[in-house]
Amino acid sequence: MIDYQWTSTLIGLLIASLILFLVRRDHLHGPYAVWWLVVAAMVVVLGVFPRLFDTVAPLFGVAYPPILAVVLGMGLLLIKMLTMDLERSRQERKLRRLTQRLAMLETLLEKVHQSQLAQEKEKDIGGDDNQGQ
Amino acid sequence: MCLNFQSFSVPARLAVLIPAHNEAATIDGIVRAAKEHLGGDVVVIDDASTDGTAQIARSAGATVLPLSCNLGAWGATQAGIRYALKANYQQVMTMDADGQHLPEYLPLLLTTLVSGEADVVIGACTERGSRARQLAWGYFRKLTGLGIEDLTSGFRAYNKAAMRVLAAPEATLLDYQDVGVLLLLRYARLRIQEIPVPMRERDHGGSRVFPSWLVVGKYMLQTSLLCLAKVGMNGKRRVAMQR
Repeated sequence: MIDYQWTSTLIGLLIASLILFLVRRDHLHGPYAVWWLVVAAMVVVLGVFPRLFDTVAPLFGVAYPPILAVVLGMGLLLIKMLTMDLERSRQERKLRRLTQRLAMLETLLEKVHQSQLAQEKEKDIGGDDNQGQ
Repeated sequence: MCLNFQSFSVPARLAVLIPAHNEAATIDGIVRAAKEHLGGDVVVIDDASTDGTAQIARSAGATVLPLSCNLGAWGATQAGIRYALKANYQQVMTMDADGQHLPEYLPLLLTTLVSGEADVVIGACTERGSRARQLAWGYFRKLTGLGIEDLTSGFRAYNKAAMRVLAAPEATLLDYQDVGVLLLLRYARLRIQEIPVPMRERDHGGSRVFPSWLVVGKYMLQTSLLCLAKVGMNGKRRVAMQR
């Protein structure tokens, strides 16, 4: 049986390499990647030094130290999920406004096209008349 | 080529906005009727239809705003309002593409708007809808304190002040054009007036807002939350008005 320390370190390293891979492949960008790298680093640090909880937990009045890890982890996940929804809402707003703007520009472009065509036609008719005279 | 909206001459100062999603069966008649009864420009906002809605509307003489993804009735209406502002229209009127709203009542709404008594005029028909819908309306009237009988009517006329409020990014994340939109207008201290008008049953298909009980539940929850979140804002407004 391997030591728990190794298990956590391995999980931390795996998460870190997965994040780096995703950034490399352009699947994760800027602020998200940084957040997840911090998470991976925390997992590695706490994996290597699990005793950290034994020192910190009593300071927060937690009698059974590992529970602190669970509570902290869940709290951070909730914050992360909230920020993700905030970001998603921001993007949704942007996407909707862009869609609207695109439609407006398409319509305008079509109108400009039509008026240009009409002008060209007028010119042609004028030219024909002149030739006739 | 110049892409400036201002440089484009707009013949009329009034536009009728018709958001349409797969309404090929009715759109032609509605565009023609709106043109006949009002004479202004008709703008059909094609909400990513998969049928011939856009082409039919175009050949009926409407300007078509083609949305590349489906934004729902309110997102489409807002696109129309933003376009109208850019193209310097002074008033817009909105109506559904499904044949519920009678174009012959457009002039009545417009007259009330132009008289300056209100910034927003709603063509209201409280008799329509099931008992469940009536109950839902009553509930939202109580919750918001909005003294408006027909909260969901899409048959409305807006002046420029109202158009500016509704074109803002704050109105973009709304999913329905009822309570959220009305609360925004109230917060901006615009005057809303209702005029009773008759409405017809839908010609084709079911309601877009209430297709199933699950959707109704989602709508009720979302809108309730919106109302609760905006309670403080109404209070602020009232204090401001008292001063």
